Amino acid sequence: MGNFIQLKNFEALLPYANMFKEGLIVTLLLAFFTVLLGFVLGLMLAVLRMSNFRPLLWLAHAFPRVFGFFERDKESGLLRDSGFLYHLGRFNPLSFLATAYVEVIRSTPVLVQISLIYYGVFSLLFDLPTFKIFGFISFNRFFPGVVALAMNSAAYLCEIIRSGLQSIDGGQTEAARSLGLTQMQNMRFIILPQAIKNILPAIANEFVTIIKESAITYVIGVQDIMAMVNSIRSATYIIMEPLLVATLLYFCICFPLSKLIAYIERRMSRGDRR
Amino acid sequence: MATGDKLIQVRDLKKYYNKGAIKALDGVTVDIDRGDVMVVIGPSGSGKSTFLRSLNLMEQPTGGAIIFDGVDITKPKVPDASGKLVRVNIDQHRQKMGMVFQHFNLFPHMTILDNMTLAPIQVKHMNKAEAEKKALALLARVGLQDRAEAYPIQLSGGQKQRIAIVRALMMEPEVMLFDEPTSALDPEMVGEVLEVMKELAQEGMTMVVVTHEMGFAREVGSRVLFMADGKLLEQGTPDEIFGHPTHPRLQDFLSRVL
Repeated sequence: MGNFIQLKNFEALLPYANMFKEGLIVTLLLAFFTVLLGFVLGLMLAVLRMSNFRPLLWLAHAFPRVFGFFERDKESGLLRDSGFLYHLGRFNPLSFLATAYVEVIRSTPVLVQISLIYYGVFSLLFDLPTFKIFGFISFNRFFPGVVALAMNSAAYLCEIIRSGLQSIDGGQTEAARSLGLTQMQNMRFIILPQAIKNILPAIANEFVTIIKESAITYVIGVQDIMAMVNSIRSATYIIMEPLLVATLLYFCICFPLSKLIAYIERRMSRGDRR
Repeated sequence: MATGDKLIQVRDLKKYYNKGAIKALDGVTVDIDRGDVMVVIGPSGSGKSTFLRSLNLMEQPTGGAIIFDGVDITKPKVPDASGKLVRVNIDQHRQKMGMVFQHFNLFPHMTILDNMTLAPIQVKHMNKAEAEKKALALLARVGLQDRAEAYPIQLSGGQKQRIAIVRALMMEPEVMLFDEPTSALDPEMVGEVLEVMKELAQEGMTMVVVTHEMGFAREVGSRVLFMADGKLLEQGTPDEIFGHPTHPRLQDFLSRVL
């Protein structure tokens, strides 16, 4: 117990203050680019998941005599409403792939995903240039870190976007379509403007989550806060105090940020109890 | 008014669920003429809302045909004048069929004026000033010209439904479909909405109205359809339906609601 959390240990960390600063910058940049890339990927996934791309039904419409059985029962000529052929006809390969991606990502640990991306994709398939951003961020570590975290985050952001769009009452779409608006116009003028209120705060919360989760990228050598803690520990043999500094840094970013998001969320929803 | 000019021909319309275990619509055939005010009555679960919602394909029917302006809109493709198969653009047909919903479905993030001008500007490419002028004129007709800049949340249910009606009228539809337009309203607001609908009928608008307001059916309807269990059991003038009902289900229904 002798050397458990002592003031002099914190003092011994002072020469390493700059490392914490660099680690903090790396963590924030990592989270920022992850959400940016993750949002683009997530939006694409959401569009695919909600797409209406049904090649077999298209065939049924284009060649009703040959492929009509995907949509209609041959004998009665009635539209199918259940059964194997009904589901086969409505099969949407784009949505299937996007859903599969989302489920795989959500059902595997982020540590495994990051290792796979770094060792599997970027070490074996691509050779990344080894320059440093700002003189201290190794691009060939940082970039795979962003890609891996973004690929993970995209799955969650896809679900955020999808549930945001689906939270809008179906009557809105019915009213828009009954006025002759196309599916795209309905999305642009009716659904998106209303859904954005639900989606934006959730995306900001995902940003907070990624700031915390990005700590895992130290396993592939990204020099973030957590990596700095490890190198300071091996240089000084001080264990607890660097961790406490890291705790404080993470808390001081995430806590105010999530409070701010909650505040903005309340402001945005004020006056629209409907 | 009623010229016998057929606007919508419904042929053997079916809407099945679960491979026909549930038959929301079980072979409905009826003609809707221009100028008709067709009121659809029947017990709940009789398929009258499904019938109405099928007319502009808010529900995709399982079988049968809906011929609107000479085009079977239930088919993906139909032959044109020269016999060539062309795709049926349902958005184009829906422009000509205004719809009013039980729960109004105004767009809450837009002012009343924007609610009304969105579709004419985006779909019919009307210019903004023209659309707003038209909207204000229609608002004046229903006595709501001073609410143009209000948001839907600031209005009462009756006001919302009157807005929903004029929003649909902005597209100058050939037929107006009303899906229980007064069912979600407080009793004291039912009258103001029915009044607007009555004026519309008197101007010769073709209307299909699903309602529980028997007074309206009797007074304004040019024809009344009685539906039960997804079937059209009886149709006739209001006098025939209310004065001399023949089908036992209709007699039973009327004895309960009148």
